[in-house]
Amino acid sequence: MQEVIKSQQLNQEIVKVQHPSGLTLLLCPMKGFSTAYATFTTQYGSVDTAFKTQDDDEMLQVPQGIAHFLEHKMFENENGEDAFASYAKTGASANAYTTFDKTAYLFSCTDNFQQSLEVLLDFVQRPYFTKESVEKEQGIIGQEIKMYNDDGDWRVYFNLLGALYQNHPVRIDIAGTVESISEIDADLLYRCYHTFYNLNNMVLCVAGNFEIDTVLKVADKLLKPAEKKIKIERGTYQEPEQVNKALVEQKLAVATPLFQLGFKGKSKDAASNLRNQVLDEILADIIAGEASELYSKMYDAGLINSTFSSEIMAGRDYMCSIFSGESRDPKKVAQMIKEEISRLQKEGLDKEMVELCKRATYGRYIGMYSRVEAVAGLMAITHFADVNMYEFLDIVAGASIKTLTERLSVAFDTTKSALSIVYPLDEN
Amino acid sequence: MNYSFQRELLSEGVYFSSVTDDKFKHNRITANFILPLNKNTVTNNAVVPFILRKGYRECPDFTKLNRELNRLYGASLSCDISKFGAYQVLDISIYGVDDRYTLKKESIVQKCAQMLSKVLLDQHFENGLLPQKDVELEKQYLIDTIESQINDKRIFALNRCKTIMCEGESLAVEKYGYIEDAKKITSASATEAYKNILKTAQVEIMFVGCGNPDAAKQVFKQAFSSVERFPISIKKLTTKTKADEIKEVTDEMDVSQSKLVMGFRCGEINSMKEFYAVRTMAALFGGTPNSRLFTYVREKLSLCYYCAARFDRMTGLMMVDSGVNKENKQKAYDEILNQLEVIKNGDFSDDELIATRLAMKNSLQGVTDSLGAIEEWYMAQIMSGTDIAPGQEAEALDNVTKEDVIAAAKKVTLDTVYFLTGKEEQ
Repeated sequence: MQEVIKSQQLNQEIVKVQHPSGLTLLLCPMKGFSTAYATFTTQYGSVDTAFKTQDDDEMLQVPQGIAHFLEHKMFENENGEDAFASYAKTGASANAYTTFDKTAYLFSCTDNFQQSLEVLLDFVQRPYFTKESVEKEQGIIGQEIKMYNDDGDWRVYFNLLGALYQNHPVRIDIAGTVESISEIDADLLYRCYHTFYNLNNMVLCVAGNFEIDTVLKVADKLLKPAEKKIKIERGTYQEPEQVNKALVEQKLAVATPLFQLGFKGKSKDAASNLRNQVLDEILADIIAGEASELYSKMYDAGLINSTFSSEIMAGRDYMCSIFSGESRDPKKVAQMIKEEISRLQKEGLDKEMVELCKRATYGRYIGMYSRVEAVAGLMAITHFADVNMYEFLDIVAGASIKTLTERLSVAFDTTKSALSIVYPLDEN
Repeated sequence: MNYSFQRELLSEGVYFSSVTDDKFKHNRITANFILPLNKNTVTNNAVVPFILRKGYRECPDFTKLNRELNRLYGASLSCDISKFGAYQVLDISIYGVDDRYTLKKESIVQKCAQMLSKVLLDQHFENGLLPQKDVELEKQYLIDTIESQINDKRIFALNRCKTIMCEGESLAVEKYGYIEDAKKITSASATEAYKNILKTAQVEIMFVGCGNPDAAKQVFKQAFSSVERFPISIKKLTTKTKADEIKEVTDEMDVSQSKLVMGFRCGEINSMKEFYAVRTMAALFGGTPNSRLFTYVREKLSLCYYCAARFDRMTGLMMVDSGVNKENKQKAYDEILNQLEVIKNGDFSDDELIATRLAMKNSLQGVTDSLGAIEEWYMAQIMSGTDIAPGQEAEALDNVTKEDVIAAAKKVTLDTVYFLTGKEEQ
């Protein structure tokens, strides 16, 4: 079953194939590019800490960090060779990553696309875990966790999420903790694998330099149809609208204090969250983007520097807006941003600023459609949220003051904000 | 239409280069000012691009400037400082969507070029000096930038090792300069640095994207025609090619994971053939996920989370860095040297060599897909006085033999061992 999704504006199209194995294929050949970029992604991430299938009676609680742990372990197979060794024969550059709600295996290559794709589809469908290999990985990931414990940017981010959320597992570090990963064993990994690495729960996205027929051929050859369709029920969390705490502080070896100011938004469904993300990005620009009065005011007062930025985080069942940067006085910055938001909520949005920030956002999205890795990433995100990938441009172009004003009160509610600060260590 | 790398002289020491390809949707124009790394001038030079980026004569207001950029579909004006061998490179660039992808087919490219040109050459002065307010702010931010280099421990440790390794050479001069000098920056000193940069730097303007570079070229040609120029000439770098005795330095800081960095010198490189051999050797040693360091130090022995080797084409130095637990330092150190011995002895398979070559070719051929990577590639070519396309280098790698790799490894000597570790309790 094939469907073509087109963008006239960009002169680009995606072919969507529903493969008999249950897997969805999203294919975007891009003329002129040397690189092909492929991601094989499952809708399974660090927030999936509790789940059951139709065969289970009860929800299974799994250790924090297990999705990320599983990602690491997938690279090994039964004859002791890892997937990197197989990619070594094709020259592809391979990697994988785990986010809050996804685990992606990817490669990029300029030659030997077919062989590289075979490696990808093969190893992700062949789990192999033993007691020994799990123990070894606990050492490696333990080091990774330690590395992140020293990372000011990482800490200030997860401290913020911990302050914004009371129960939702988005507040937990993606890699878990040294303690939590020590509870992981091979059986648990198999259980997670067989639940979430079901092809119906996955998507293969390819962008750049490749032939559609090559993908179809490899898919027919290597995709093993799922024995049955698994129905996954994921844990839900009673997350109050209020934040956990308004302020969280830590000290680390950093030069200038790092801060993140977050606003807890109202989550709807995955598709609405993703669409709203675009609108909220325009708003963050209006509030404190480089073209705003507030930005100049803070910059000229020496309160922020060029690291200042904003990010909107949208997931299946969480949604928040974050302003972050370095500052000598993070509390003052937080206060100024909140005052500006209140002012805008009271006085209304300026028509010219709305136009300018829409244009800037439009230009930014155009840029994403011209990079193979960004296109592959967008295809996966929009697939899981069930949104048309090219819809973003229309959302930006069509954003009205009325819609933006509504979003301003929901997504930037100053009574639902938290401030995270990482201070430098005391001098001594 | 697609055009490969073209470079032409616009005026004394000012070059304009372009690479264009229809597949892109954006254009990026960068002006690079190349200056010798010198401890006395580096700090004042470093602050200049950040001051320039704040505005120009007709538009001295930063907010207005940013609104102008938003109007150009969120074009971005950015600047930074980098180091190519013994040179400090100040870059200011503008990146914007191409005319074709605007909502009403507006003209963006030419406006971007004009704005960049004004930022560079038509500055706003107050009493003949760069504006005091901007100088004071950017001076403080430069101090912050220098201080915040400590935040990323991996990069911090790498830099620290290189500095120890090249002590006393211009290579060891920090690209952003020094805090004590930054504190002394004034409007007068920054203005003097700016004028000196315009007069003496070699200027490389790069246009990369899908648009037509001609209009941009004309803008810069005209703008630079009235600038009085006495440009420096870029010389090939000479640094020690062989280590004497091994220097060892340990720093303590509040970190939970230690960083071990080992700096090597790679011997004399007299031909492109030798250059490709040493590149391949470093990649086989620690440049790919199948490299010796990744496979043995990380995967087989589980000694660290990362362990990699990088060869710097400008300096001929090879840096190995890894994140380890304090108690594993010696084991990691021994194994890194052991793996180098393995290569020197030729105890690696043909498959390893083939895999290394494939991985290198993969990344070389991918350069042409990214505006940033294209620009970086050709800047490195210009700085080393060569004009080789990424695809050509990829082909040349086919001729590197196992013997070449062994010979390259045999010339490698360990110069400096740097260890960044936690205080007592860990």
